[in-house]
Amino acid sequence: MNSFIDYTINGLVVGNIYALLAVGLALIFGVANLINFAHGSVYTIGAYVGCAAITFLRTPLPLTILVVAVPCGALGALIERVALRPLQGRARIAPLLATIGLSFVLDQLVQLVASPNPRALPADLPDWRLNVGGGSIGPMDLLIAGVGLASAGLLYGFLRFTKLGYAVRATAQDRDAARQMGVNVDAVNSAVFAIASALGGVSGLLVGMYYNHIDPTMSFQATLKGVVAVVIGGVGNVPGAIVGSLLLGLTESYGVALFGTTYRNLFAFALLILFLVLLPNGLFGGRKAVEAEPLTGTFIAPSRALRAPAWLIAAAALAAFALPFGWPSPYLLQTLTNAWLAGLLALSLTLVAGTAGQMSFGHAGLLAIGGYASALLATDWGVSPLVSVPVAGALTSVIGTALVFPAFRLRGHYIAIATLAIGEIVGLVILNWESLTHGAMGVSGIPPLSAFGFEATSARAVYWLTLAALVAFALLQARLSSSHIGRTLRALRDDEVAARAHGVEVARYKALAFGFAGFGAGISGAISAHLYTYLNNQTFDSQLSLLAVTMATLGGMGNILGAILGALALVGLPEAFRFAAEYRILIYGLVLLALVRFRPQGLLGTA
Amino acid sequence: MLVWSSLTRRVLFAAALSVFAAPAAFADEPKGEPILLGVSGPLTGPNAQYGAQWKKGFDLALDEVNGKGGVKGRPLQYQFEDSQADPRQTVAIAQKFVSDPKIVVELGDFSSTASMAASAIYQRAGLVQFGFTNSHPNFTKGGDYIWSSSVSQADETPRLAKYASELGFKKLAVLYLNTDWGRTSQTLFTSAAKSLGADVVAVEGYQPDEKDFRSTLVRVRDANPDVVVLISYYADGALIARQIRSVGLKTPILANGSIYSPKFIELAGDAANGVFSETNFFPGEPRPEVQNFVTKFRARYNEDPDTFNAVAYDTIVLMSQVFDKFGTDRAAIRDGLAKITDVPSVIFGKATFDPQTRRVAGARAVYLVVKDGKFTPWDGAKPTTN
Repeated sequence: MNSFIDYTINGLVVGNIYALLAVGLALIFGVANLINFAHGSVYTIGAYVGCAAITFLRTPLPLTILVVAVPCGALGALIERVALRPLQGRARIAPLLATIGLSFVLDQLVQLVASPNPRALPADLPDWRLNVGGGSIGPMDLLIAGVGLASAGLLYGFLRFTKLGYAVRATAQDRDAARQMGVNVDAVNSAVFAIASALGGVSGLLVGMYYNHIDPTMSFQATLKGVVAVVIGGVGNVPGAIVGSLLLGLTESYGVALFGTTYRNLFAFALLILFLVLLPNGLFGGRKAVEAEPLTGTFIAPSRALRAPAWLIAAAALAAFALPFGWPSPYLLQTLTNAWLAGLLALSLTLVAGTAGQMSFGHAGLLAIGGYASALLATDWGVSPLVSVPVAGALTSVIGTALVFPAFRLRGHYIAIATLAIGEIVGLVILNWESLTHGAMGVSGIPPLSAFGFEATSARAVYWLTLAALVAFALLQARLSSSHIGRTLRALRDDEVAARAHGVEVARYKALAFGFAGFGAGISGAISAHLYTYLNNQTFDSQLSLLAVTMATLGGMGNILGAILGALALVGLPEAFRFAAEYRILIYGLVLLALVRFRPQGLLGTA
Repeated sequence: MLVWSSLTRRVLFAAALSVFAAPAAFADEPKGEPILLGVSGPLTGPNAQYGAQWKKGFDLALDEVNGKGGVKGRPLQYQFEDSQADPRQTVAIAQKFVSDPKIVVELGDFSSTASMAASAIYQRAGLVQFGFTNSHPNFTKGGDYIWSSSVSQADETPRLAKYASELGFKKLAVLYLNTDWGRTSQTLFTSAAKSLGADVVAVEGYQPDEKDFRSTLVRVRDANPDVVVLISYYADGALIARQIRSVGLKTPILANGSIYSPKFIELAGDAANGVFSETNFFPGEPRPEVQNFVTKFRARYNEDPDTFNAVAYDTIVLMSQVFDKFGTDRAAIRDGLAKITDVPSVIFGKATFDPQTRRVAGARAVYLVVKDGKFTPWDGAKPTTN
């Protein structure tokens, strides 16, 4: 019983910390209708600015908070002005991707300036502790709780009682109507980003002090937990974000108590899925929140696709097949092999996200299922890769569809968040299901691809094999897209209600899309497994899922050629910038930003 | 002013060079064709800090080797390719290295995920893949071109168990980093501790990006251990050390060698005091290899080296000796690694490979305890309980 109190206190302590970030995310989500992936980067920058102020200027805590809040607020306003405002009215995937690109750029800048080493961020606070249950809490815990509650209270008052707050709420409810009523929507947005980012920066400072630890990679996990908390609380609801954070902290703490530490994040993401399925508006979202999501397919930029003549495509494919005869370097062949494998992933994503309108931020999970299925079949059961690879594709198709099934009724951002969580869950299950997957040890000694006594180990053989798989899938998918199935999928992407009214079994068609897409991604994962000969739970991580989204968007959502082109570009770009070592992620982020800004419908346009 | 600007230009030029490849241009640089080592490691991404630590160790060793005229008049250089410790990139880098005849040996990558994905390519092409941080027990099983000087967990963890027993601990709670390295160490440690008559009362694995350990530590506390054993890196080890008292757990901490870093003390603050640990590398050790390395490292970087600096430094020293004795042919390097004996090493004292396992046995070990914010050799005093 004593320990139960401790777990509760611990849950609240951690929830407290999540709340600091969640409040800012909720505010931005409420007004700009956007998951701000760059919020975590502002939080990191806040921590580093605070660290610099304390180290070089020896500022006392209240002054440090001010020193952090002002530039972070300015940074937030700058982000809104430079990166997001030009994207107003564009498809909603555009600002989302812009924030992802921004987070790459900002995190990398921090790393370049401050070195990748973690740093200590000592807090100059009195050294007393308050005993609660079997443990104790310190002044930092109380300070964080105080700042969290105070900022939520102030924001609540600001939103409810001030004129600008009134304008913010009006903008959140209906941007166009607010504009017509004379609200300066841009100024409102700017103010919201500034407030949220100032708060984000301060939370980075406080959390860094709490753990006495800051590092340039702290942003992604922080954003992820913040997003979970926001969804639980009800998007755009500031007090809800706090309650959601506390609930998340408690769930994790009790999860650790019951099952052990490695299950912690599994509980966090399972809670998220539970909420999305049963209570997608969150605890405090009310009925309105979901209605605010557009009913038509404006999540993805509509445009006219560029059509390449058939002879050009055929010639390009032939040239690709003929390339190894020109004795290119194995490095080039390997890079292209990577691109073809990424191309299979992008094709899979562009089908569900582009053609069927079901955004997926957890597609790397499908690769992991396929990779593990084939690897385990080949090593632990001695199945020939000739059999294990297609079986892995089929298994991925079935398991992947079953996993996403509960999320079928979600739309827009919600399905993006749900799939992100599902991707994380797949990785965590792989880590924890030791008896099947070997847990953290991974699967080693996976045999190379072989058929009838011939082993595909040379760079050329693997190149041809992956290219053939890619071309086969591209042709199949082209056939699918031009059939009545493709037409139906596009119909439910563009207007699900209308499609249902016309008698389309929505869930069945979505399952069909995910089934086909899962097969392709599963094959890609399986081939990768045999290529690498070693897999573990980190081989297909969430960064890869984000990369897949970028590839599909870059090429043009739903565009088959575009997906392949996007994969080629995004595998090729970092390789091309290899000479720039530490700077290449920065360049990659900037290129992504420029693309979203100047060609949001992708290189070849959505199809 | 003129002198100043020409100096600036030279510095800038040197800096520019070092961005692309190895640091070059020192006064008595040997003039021959450079011997090129390929390095695959993280310079960006979540493990970037370790790649940065490697570079410091490499650069120091290169200065030393090249300052003495290189190997038979040829300077050593390395080509560092950033892999982000991502398997998709390490395979591409592997193809790049194996097809570049100038590369005579490959060093790295950092994690097993990344390194082992590329092993098959190195093995088939006959280029030595030398992983100096790869403790996965199956890493060197990739073939006869796959070698590792990473301290074997089979060596290190029984020693940690023995230290626990010498300190008089009977009921152990183990917290481990849930990666292949942590998992291997934990299994080996648990069995070694049991064979020494200790009870392992709790075992908890945690994720590398975990920051909050309070609830984990409550579980540990309720198991009623007399010591908490950490199988951690310095960053997460420091987080645990700081949080352990907040749940009312008063037991001492015994941590494995990889927390040994000046950063551990910095990040853990006062909570570091009283932590027992052991290390393969301790700057205070009087051995000449260690003192030479530490003095030069401090002079060049104005900070204390850690284990990652030391293993990178050792690797270059080892390679220069292999090149010197057996030449720079790729196959000759593999054969040389099997034959070379007693290479002076910071970590091992004298390093000799077992040609069967392609690993080095017998890393040095110093028992440590943190006192007044400093790692100091253990004086044999048992901890006063509570």
